[in-house]
Amino acid sequence: MRHHSDNHLIDWLWVVLLALTLGGSWLGESADPGLALALFVAASIAIKGRIIIDHFMELKYANPTLRRLMRLYFYLIPLLILLVYLSHLYNIESPL
Amino acid sequence: MTEFGLLFCVYFVARFYNPASFQSGPAEINVMAGTANTVMMISGSYFVVKAVHAIRDNQSRLALRWLFLVLLTILGYATIKSLELQWNLAHGITGRSGIFFTVYYYLTLTHMVHVFWGGIALLWVIFRTHSGGYNSHSHEGLESFASYWHATDLVWLVIFPLLYLLR
Repeated sequence: MRHHSDNHLIDWLWVVLLALTLGGSWLGESADPGLALALFVAASIAIKGRIIIDHFMELKYANPTLRRLMRLYFYLIPLLILLVYLSHLYNIESPL
Repeated sequence: MTEFGLLFCVYFVARFYNPASFQSGPAEINVMAGTANTVMMISGSYFVVKAVHAIRDNQSRLALRWLFLVLLTILGYATIKSLELQWNLAHGITGRSGIFFTVYYYLTLTHMVHVFWGGIALLWVIFRTHSGGYNSHSHEGLESFASYWHATDLVWLVIFPLLYLLR
């Protein structure tokens, strides 16, 4: 059965998720606000989301539409983080 | 996830129009509480996976132990959240302290309600596992709870960096 071979991987992925969380908190508290922090936050959301969706929810092996929709969520949020950051950087104002 | 998708849209619109509030806000809230709750959510999700794997192996007693660990993470989350809210009030942080804090309470309290519903579902799943309701062939109830819990975890994995880290 698939989950026997996945058991070890799941343990490691838990450690990766915890490391990303603690590393992110350290960076969030110590680093100056800027592109590096925005990039780290965007990337860590994308990576964590992908791990949970593919391996914890096991959507890697499920219906492709469902899998793509869930993954899309974790492409859009990081993209929005970077877009809003860049809009502030270049002082882009709302056309409304 | 759709419901929170709308709430995240609110966050990004508010952030776009109020950059100064969202840059200074995270420094005023308790990052340690947010980090500790992220550890609780991630670990709860991991323990749920282990419970599902155990039930697939027909090891319901082992699954029960993992589910009790999930319960422990929910109690840990509730305790940390309660301390965080007390800390906020002691520092004068309420939903009326500014747009960042309105969005902060809006997102975190809505998430907390979902954790509460998950806690009730978990008690039912624990009862069913204890009474032999699940085995390797039939454990849809446990898998449904697992899916709900992972989604609640996913939402927190977005909320935490958006509110506590991103400046």
